[in-house]
Amino acid sequence: MACKLFSSKRKSLERNTGAGYLFLAPALLFYSLFFIYPVIFSFIVSTKRWNMLVPLSRARNVGFSEYSYLLKDEMFLGVLTNTLIYALLTVSLTITIALILAVLINGAKLSVLWRFIYFAPVVTPQVAIGTIWGYLYRPNNGLLNSILRLFGMKPVYWLTDPNVALFSIIATAVWAGIGGSMLIITAGLKNIPQDYYDAAKIDGAGPFRQFFYITVPLLSPTLLFLTATGFIGAWQVFDLPFTMGRNAPARSVMTVSWYVYETAFQSLRMGRASAGAFLLFCIIFVFTLLILWIFKRGGIKGYE
Amino acid sequence: MNKKVTKIFLEILRYTIIVFGAFWMILPFFWLFSASLMTPQELLSDTPRWLPERPQWGNYLQVLKRVPIFTYYKNSVIVATSVTVLVILTSSMAGFAFAKLRFRGRRILFSFVLSTMMFPVFIFLIPVYYLMKLFGWLNSYLSLIVPFAVSGYGIFLLRQFVMTIPDELLDSARLDGAKEFRIYSTIILPLIKPALATLAILTFIGQWNSFLWPLIVTSNAQKLITLPVGISRLSLAFSTTETQHLILTALVYQVVPMVILFLYLQRYYVKGFVLSGFSNL
Repeated sequence: MACKLFSSKRKSLERNTGAGYLFLAPALLFYSLFFIYPVIFSFIVSTKRWNMLVPLSRARNVGFSEYSYLLKDEMFLGVLTNTLIYALLTVSLTITIALILAVLINGAKLSVLWRFIYFAPVVTPQVAIGTIWGYLYRPNNGLLNSILRLFGMKPVYWLTDPNVALFSIIATAVWAGIGGSMLIITAGLKNIPQDYYDAAKIDGAGPFRQFFYITVPLLSPTLLFLTATGFIGAWQVFDLPFTMGRNAPARSVMTVSWYVYETAFQSLRMGRASAGAFLLFCIIFVFTLLILWIFKRGGIKGYE
Repeated sequence: MNKKVTKIFLEILRYTIIVFGAFWMILPFFWLFSASLMTPQELLSDTPRWLPERPQWGNYLQVLKRVPIFTYYKNSVIVATSVTVLVILTSSMAGFAFAKLRFRGRRILFSFVLSTMMFPVFIFLIPVYYLMKLFGWLNSYLSLIVPFAVSGYGIFLLRQFVMTIPDELLDSARLDGAKEFRIYSTIILPLIKPALATLAILTFIGQWNSFLWPLIVTSNAQKLITLPVGISRLSLAFSTTETQHLILTALVYQVVPMVILFLYLQRYYVKGFVLSGFSNL
């Protein structure tokens, strides 16, 4: 009997095995060619000294020396710090501002118009955004300093002062990212039952209490999604620093991806670049687990 | 009475914040458009201007004469459209399999697909570039299209949607003798149209704005240059003070079509996100 049950279950489990793999075939083929193969290839490259001009088999084996070089290299550590500051500030500021604005705009007059305005930067290429803001940030004839002058303040060297440049780029990144996060938060807001707010109102809860006791806790899965994906993206940031930071002094705004790009495609040090990419993957991996763990401790499940 | 005053105050605060934010969102776009019509002297003058004295509409013609903007447009459209079609096809097929077909290894494969999203793109830059070289694709659109033909995010999104379709619907079709491919093409695809639209828009915009990979691939293939790469090269083409202002004019060519397209498609965007149930993940 047990055996029969087992076999009939097996049969239904395997009912469309053939069709299943057939439908997955394109994706599986793709992943083996453009995911598994590259990851292995990349790892092998990271243990070699290779410039892509000779066959990989003739490259010299250097073991893990590129990894230990990077972890001791002041430049790479500086680049890593830049990226960490960028990721922490961009993600936290973007989500906080987007959350406040999404709540304010939800149910406001002209909400469609406001959403559209805030969303416009999301459909604009980052390269274009970087170029426009590069002009707005110009020290002598930029619009921002002329506004500062209007209030009697001293001009700021937004992109050329090494202590300021990274933060100027972060400000632009937040400006560009608010709309996308707002859209996802708005979708989350629409899923919160209105009854909760009605009940809270009867109990005499004001808008601030409603925000902290209903909106934020019920949105936490959405906020987890935004935080996790936000960090995965922010760790890899390239376009904005690359377009805005070319005149910044002493690589004060260089990010890890920019470093990998330059090491690989300008210095042709494929091994070192791959090692850098793998180190970054480890950081992203640990960081993502950390975020999931923090949210889990707060009682919010991961998204799977 | 007091409560009413607080409420009015809060409403004023609310709209002040919204409008103040909106002002900062619009400002760079407004300035871009305004600056695209300026003379080089106006753009470089020590007292920055908000509006040009006399709009230089000729700037737009100048750009067309000096930069193959339409080639960039063509390349971007070809790449973004092809990737979008492929992603829709592969994601809906895989999404259907993961949501509705039972086979061994389904769970592990799905976890694998999710985990691919965590790998930073630049682990792939060198090996995929090497592959493209190996295939002899570096001088063709294939190098810009094929490496993006499957999206883990797309598979995940469409699987979530297909899950919401009741099994009974598929089972009754199977009883009528329909093969899985028929079920996919005549039941699943029509029912997930809103999700397909959302994914299509997301993919298209992502490709339209994609920069790093085209920058690397087109470094030796000028004829394949897409808009973002073309724009980033303008600072080389327009390096003199007499032409520098044209960079901004060229940017308008890139920014405007997307903003207009989005105006038309906005509802799909929001709808897709609401439907995909991000908050119930």
